[in-house]
Amino acid sequence: MNTRCALLVLGLLLSAGGHAEVQREAFAQPLPALASDAQLDQFFKGRGLFRQAWVIAPSADESAQGLGPLYNRITCIACHPRNGRGQAPGDSEAPMRSMLVRLSVPGTDAHGGVLPHPVYGDQLNENGIPGVPGEGRAHLDWQYSEVTLDDGQRVELREPRIRFSELAYGALNDVQTSARVGSAVFGLGLLEAVDAQTLQQLASAPKADGVAGRVNWVWSVERQRLEVGRFGLKANQPDLPQQIASALHGDLGITTALYPQQNCTPAQIECQQAERGPQPELDAQRLSALHFYLAHLAAPPRRKRDAAPIKQGEQLFSELGCGQCHIPRLTTGQHPNYPALSRQPIEPYTDLLLHDMGAGLADHRPDYLASGREWRTAPLWGLGLSEVITPGAGYLHDGRARTVTEAILWHDGEARPARERFSALPAAQRELLMGFLRSL
Amino acid sequence: MRRFKPWLLALWSMSALAASGEPVVVMTSYPEEVMSRFEEAFSEAHPQWRVQILWRQGYDALPWLRQPEQGGVDVYWAPSPGNFERLAAENAWQPLGVDLRGLPARIGATPLRDAQARYQATELAGYGFASNPQRLLQLGAPTPKDWPDLLDPRLREHIALPDPARVGYAPVLLDIVLQAYGWERGWALWSELAGRARLVSRGGSLVSDEVASGRSALGLSIDFFVASAISNGQPVRFTYPVHGGLNPAHIAISAASKHPDGARAFVRFVLSEAGQRLLADPEIRKLPVRPDVYRSLPAHYPNSFRSAQRGTFAYHNSSAERLALVTSLFVQWLGQPHERLNALWQRIHAGEAAGHDLSAVRACLSEPPVSASAAEAPALLALFAARPSAGMDSVPTSEQEPLGQQEIAWQFYSAQRQAEAQRLLEAMGL
Ligand code: HEC
Ligand code: HEC
Repeated sequence: MNTRCALLVLGLLLSAGGHAEVQREAFAQPLPALASDAQLDQFFKGRGLFRQAWVIAPSADESAQGLGPLYNRITCIACHPRNGRGQAPGDSEAPMRSMLVRLSVPGTDAHGGVLPHPVYGDQLNENGIPGVPGEGRAHLDWQYSEVTLDDGQRVELREPRIRFSELAYGALNDVQTSARVGSAVFGLGLLEAVDAQTLQQLASAPKADGVAGRVNWVWSVERQRLEVGRFGLKANQPDLPQQIASALHGDLGITTALYPQQNCTPAQIECQQAERGPQPELDAQRLSALHFYLAHLAAPPRRKRDAAPIKQGEQLFSELGCGQCHIPRLTTGQHPNYPALSRQPIEPYTDLLLHDMGAGLADHRPDYLASGREWRTAPLWGLGLSEVITPGAGYLHDGRARTVTEAILWHDGEARPARERFSALPAAQRELLMGFLRSL
Repeated sequence: MRRFKPWLLALWSMSALAASGEPVVVMTSYPEEVMSRFEEAFSEAHPQWRVQILWRQGYDALPWLRQPEQGGVDVYWAPSPGNFERLAAENAWQPLGVDLRGLPARIGATPLRDAQARYQATELAGYGFASNPQRLLQLGAPTPKDWPDLLDPRLREHIALPDPARVGYAPVLLDIVLQAYGWERGWALWSELAGRARLVSRGGSLVSDEVASGRSALGLSIDFFVASAISNGQPVRFTYPVHGGLNPAHIAISAASKHPDGARAFVRFVLSEAGQRLLADPEIRKLPVRPDVYRSLPAHYPNSFRSAQRGTFAYHNSSAERLALVTSLFVQWLGQPHERLNALWQRIHAGEAAGHDLSAVRACLSEPPVSASAAEAPALLALFAARPSAGMDSVPTSEQEPLGQQEIAWQFYSAQRQAEAQRLLEAMGL
């Protein structure tokens, strides 16, 4: 490591400790493995792309043109604020600023994936460039209920119902919907490096409580074959480049070599006819800078992991059966592009597998092998910093849980026994568990 | 650039109008954090209006706003003073028509609105030095207080200089020095500084990264980029130089606005106490233009009105043409041949350290291709009226046009004088 880099790492270490404000950038740090100036340059370039605002073509701002014709937001960070999670609007009239609604109709496409709605496609794009009507607005109407824990403490839960308004291309009947908040985007290169074989082994390992867990098999656009799914809340993307390219395409309307067509359905005439700049709108070089950036964002280090109460909480986490899905430790295999990510011990608290989480969390929108009740185990690394970095953002796929306790209480299906044990804990022990989760 | 079909635009505004009742189309170049905080706060305060953001870099906004119907834009809000001035001259703005009480008409030498109040500053950013205290300590160099301090030999190769051709705020940096020290001395300083700095080609956060990471010990920047790095715990500091300058961001309502009421509501909100207080958000960190608001901000928050009283902001913002000229001069004369310039200055410094008098060589590299008075000639300035001052290719436009010919001449001058400097050095065996 040369001196400049040694200094960089020093600077970052300084920023990792210290007071609360410091932690706001805890999800934006490069892995220490980034050793050369060239790598840091690539990292910063990718970061620039993740933060840059895209503009409508034609534009003199050549490296950023091509927004839309239909889109949700004009930057990536809008939905991944500070590289953390998005938020569900609490007020049903407020617009979705960091989440989106996926759409489909029953059936599958040629590769077993979702069948997009014939008019609206596979995601509601609320906005359009001039001349192209945005598709409409999605609202969340909240229904409230209450659960009582065994020690008598009451917890209010809320559940969203999706409602559409201002639909510009006709009614949206018989459509499958799934509302999702943007997820945190650090640590992804390490998850990308976990072997398919490791995931298969995790899936077939025997587990208690009726916990199963299975691998999703999804289509690789680049390699034209089914592969193990890892990214997305239903593990419906095989690797980061495809996840990124599909975000560019679906969320911002930016074409890449992987998704070269504009995101217009045949019924969307204005969208089809809209003026466009040079294609693809994001070239391979910049796609790989984005990949490089997201792959090398470090998961934040744990805090106070050796304190006695934290250790007790950790013990409880394991005893309750949480760790059957939220697997604490994995070792990465060979990363396809970046050797520095290979064979690293990591603590993601996920198995990247799909689990039936019960009717309450179901979106009834299957995606490849994932059923309407199945979700990928959410990684819990960085969980404790979430409330510092994105205060008020909430938890779970649609941001419905306002606290970690609510998130746990929504666990059902395969996770029901674990949740019931949690509900049975005395308050002091629940607090120990929370202390552990905050240390992640 | 090709234009949007006006009927499509009409259709767009109609559909949006029918759908929501009045979307206010705001064109801006602010980063996501600023846009979303203001959009959200405005729609909470005024639920009857919806904002649609049309994002455009400063240099990219003019062609859009010059389209028929001004491209459907109701409000233009951006830290690009030149655009407001140019478009005002084309009668592109309507009178703001909002109450401006409590908002001073100027700060230091910087006017905060035009004489007819068609555009008004909404916030300020201050130019200055980002430094890494630890790196400065290692180099044994004190924190520079003003521009000439940047020529401290210990800082050689440790300064990050934003490339004026690429970085929007950099032209004003050039101009501050030229105003404060005069044309000749100012350019001599720029030549020598360029000759010992790293040119950084992308925006302000990159300069603060350069400095925070220790890749450079010092960088020329704007306060808010550095402030956000500081609040994120990065090891950087910011100094306003004795000769400082401010960049105002303005807001204006387009003459063709279809939603003047909504536009006015937005403008009023941005200028209100609530809107001005949002500027202090750690991720925005701009300087409010409403002096009253500083009272409710933390004591350590820089108070630009107080600094102005001390004379820090005597710099008065130049015309867009002048900034374009100054930028182009830098780019053609010092920026293009940056590597050679750097090598020559290195030899000069080495020679001087060995006791030689190299003032003749210095002169070759320091004398600008145009004199101060020639640079003020209206005919020359007029050539630059059409040249955006930043974000453009540094390549001369075309040798067929007077502007391109001028720029090529400056490049040629640069090559000649550098060759001369080289000859002199070689003759002295240096
Ligand atoms: C409109 C909001 C929105 C925007 C804009 C957006 N995202 Fe996302 N992002 C999401 C949501 C929601 C998910 C969860 C995906 C899912 O399961 O459907 C996600 C997931 C991801 C993931 C996978 C995370 C994981 O753990 O699997 C990556 C990587 C990602 N986005 C990158 C990007 C990039 C790059 C951009 C900009 C080109 C972008 N996103 C723009 C909402 C957004
Ligand atoms: C059967 C597998 C399984 C078990 C057991 C399990 N979880 Fe989960 N957990 C999941 C899945 C899947 C999700 C994502 C669900 C969603 O987004 O709707 C999740 C989400 C979470 C979240 C929200 C994370 C986020 O980023 O939004 C928390 C917190 C959590 N689990 C904690 C626990 C704790 C504590 C336990 C033990 C009491 C536990 N989980 C047991 C599978 C499991």
